[in-house]
Amino acid sequence: MSGTIWKGYIHFKDTAVPVKLHAAVKEERIQFHLLHRRDHVRLHQQMICAYEKIPVPPEAQAKGFEVEEGKYIIVDPEELEQTTPESSRMIAVHEFVKTKQIDPIFLDRVYYLEPDTDLHTEGYNELVGALQELAVEGICTWTMRKRSYIGALQASGRILRLNTLRYADEVISVKSLELQEIPVSERELKIGCDLINQLTAPFQPQKFENEHQKRLQKLIDKKARGEKVVLLRPRLLQPTASDKLLQALEASLKKAA
Amino acid sequence: MWSGTISFSLVAIPVQLVKAVKPGRISFRTLHSKDYSPLARRMFCPKQEKIVPPDEIVRGYEIGPDRYIPITDEELESVSPERSRTIEIVEFIDMKEVDPIYYDHPYYLVPLKGGEKAYRLLAEVLRRTNRAGLARFVLAEREYLVAVKSTEGALTLITLHYSEEVLTADGIAPKEGKVAAKEIKRMEKSIKSMMAGFDPGKYADERREKVMNLLKHKMKEQALVEAPAVEEEEGEGPPDLVAALEKIMHDVKKSR
Repeated sequence: MSGTIWKGYIHFKDTAVPVKLHAAVKEERIQFHLLHRRDHVRLHQQMICAYEKIPVPPEAQAKGFEVEEGKYIIVDPEELEQTTPESSRMIAVHEFVKTKQIDPIFLDRVYYLEPDTDLHTEGYNELVGALQELAVEGICTWTMRKRSYIGALQASGRILRLNTLRYADEVISVKSLELQEIPVSERELKIGCDLINQLTAPFQPQKFENEHQKRLQKLIDKKARGEKVVLLRPRLLQPTASDKLLQALEASLKKAA
Repeated sequence: MWSGTISFSLVAIPVQLVKAVKPGRISFRTLHSKDYSPLARRMFCPKQEKIVPPDEIVRGYEIGPDRYIPITDEELESVSPERSRTIEIVEFIDMKEVDPIYYDHPYYLVPLKGGEKAYRLLAEVLRRTNRAGLARFVLAEREYLVAVKSTEGALTLITLHYSEEVLTADGIAPKEGKVAAKEIKRMEKSIKSMMAGFDPGKYADERREKVMNLLKHKMKEQALVEAPAVEEEEGEGPPDLVAALEKIMHDVKKSR
């Protein structure tokens, strides 16, 4: 269990449940720095003036909103400060929706909620019970670290979780991809479905280890010892031609059976 | 962005990875307060005191103070050569079995020339079966476990956390105690009275609204500043600035 990130209370109607937020995911990966190729000096990020091509220190920087190309309204940091949402401890539940209804594209980060025992634990177990019983999650908003969040309050096993959601205008619509409608024959679809059914397995994430990370560490160790590294070329697959699709599906199905 | 092939069994589809999410918050440019020229983040060599172009940059793994092992792009690609250009679906899963705790970041896949039909087939078949393809692929120094699903005729690729990255919830749950059945009934009654369908468009970011109001206000009372042209640009007619801002606000509202 990781440390407490934030404290607040869940509120709807005459229910108030005090909780503490904990991270639910922790990523660990190999860190690289960026070096100058010729002498391996470590590089730093600098803010460079596009006009003068020189680094600009923070005290000579200003914030501007671009109204049209190259034209800005300058905004003072104090003015912007005033627009940050008022801090509050309330996770306000606005409505409840059936679980599994939210498209995964909206789902962002999950936090575990611990009952805030410094106050009182009544309500926590009951809320878990009610959410489980009705198979619903609560859509809520709150303010944390000067940002307004939208999230889904979920019950998982015996605990409550908060899954932050992306705002609707952060999600790019499928329409904007301008995909073409291409006819696919029922026969191709039928074989495709059969093939997928053949290749379906239960979701067991623990089956998948981050092998690449281990191999990358090996590569680094090898280079550290001064050993030569053999370069392998990426595998490239020949795309399946449209008129060979049915054939490829039939062969796949045969292989899978 | 990345392009390559997505494959399942003996079918290979050329695709490109594109963004599915963009920052919705109003973004400000950082400017040089002297000449209002925009600033850009660049890699800078402290020794030579100069900007270093991307082709002179190499990744380095730190093995001691100021000691690094350089790793080239070719070496990185060489670590998992079978996964750097191919998203190989190894099995299919029922999306309902995936705990949302595993979801990381969504992208769309779009077909490249010649892949349109097979792409359409995969998207439709995933929709009909309500399944997602599970695959691994490597981008730069990271390997991703991904789920490929169908969304309104498009293929969505969602990167997943590895199970070793998911923390346990041990110690989070309260001690088993009495659960007040009456209290559950009371909450259920409240919840039932608050049932709705999920409509993400309803929840605008409050801060964005406030920033927009601030900008609109400032537009009326403060002149715009202009950055010096870096390259020759053609002149434009006198702009109607309030109209320009209103258009931006309109666009922001419309996209909600």
